Amino acid sequence: METDIRFTHKAIVEQCKAGNSNSQYELYSCYVDAMYNVGFRFLGNAEDTEDIVQDSFVDAFKNLDNFKYESSFGSWLKRIVINKSINHLKAKRIPVVPMEAHEFHLTDDEPVEAEATDINKVKKGIALLPDGYREIINLYLIEGYDHVEIGEILGISTSTSKSQYHRAKKKLLEIINEL
Amino acid sequence: MDNFEKHIRDHAAQFNERRADKDKMWAKISEELHQEKPKVIPLWKRPVFRVAASVLLLLGIASFFGLAVLNNNANKTQYASKELMEIDMYYKDLVSYQVQLVKNNQSLSEENKAEFLSFMDELDAEYEVLKKEMQKNLDNERVLEAIVGNYKKRIELIDNLLHQLNESKKPNEDDYGYTL
Repeated sequence: METDIRFTHKAIVEQCKAGNSNSQYELYSCYVDAMYNVGFRFLGNAEDTEDIVQDSFVDAFKNLDNFKYESSFGSWLKRIVINKSINHLKAKRIPVVPMEAHEFHLTDDEPVEAEATDINKVKKGIALLPDGYREIINLYLIEGYDHVEIGEILGISTSTSKSQYHRAKKKLLEIINEL
Repeated sequence: MDNFEKHIRDHAAQFNERRADKDKMWAKISEELHQEKPKVIPLWKRPVFRVAASVLLLLGIASFFGLAVLNNNANKTQYASKELMEIDMYYKDLVSYQVQLVKNNQSLSEENKAEFLSFMDELDAEYEVLKKEMQKNLDNERVLEAIVGNYKKRIELIDNLLHQLNESKKPNEDDYGYTL
């Protein structure tokens, strides 16, 4: 099953590699909405999101030779969008982690257990999160990355990713409970 | 992973509620992709270029080493001939100065001058031969010695001549001797 996912759209991807612009449009159509949503979750406005997503597709098509089916095309592309979004936030000096990455662990970052919550409430809660909390919640809960991958994306250690995530999750639960 | 997290991950698709302005974005993407379109085949990827580059590289290396060797030799030549040139200049100046003295000497008859200068010409001819020999064998010390000897002989000749002149003049012109 794993290998099947990696080769999704292989035929189209190969044609794109050959420079076929119809195939490029086809591939773009498959992924543009998903990528737009990924970008919007980080950037929070349509203008920046459009710029970043356009840039990501251009980069992806130009560097398609570097795509060797080690993951699915979708997750390769998503990683480009996320990296660009994070860089954009960093360039605007918007924090991408709740606090400056501490090497030591604070006492209040033990995992908090919570029950399944209405998705609409979660959406509202995430929207109300302060800058720096939203990114790690997005990466872990919605984009489904593990802490090793999040560490790579945000440039922090795995353990920092874990502790910062727990801090953000705690904050999210507080907000949701107040709704 | 608790139920809260699991529930969100399972329903992550519900977070994709926005729709992109697909055509507007594609217009920009395709514009950017087509800007790059005149697909430049990198020069170094052409086989002809590779051959040319190899030849150039070889030539470069060869000329580099060639030049280095030549330079080395040239340095030696330069050094030897610089030394020689200094000696040559020194004697040449001395000889021409003394020849000039003889020529300007009014107490010598034209005949005597011509005779003396013919000796000089002989020595000049010998010198030219030695110089040619020198170019063939740069580090031949015997040739070098011969050249110096040639010069010394001229100076000695002039010296003797002027000395004799002065000897004969001494009683008349006491203060003339300072020239030599």
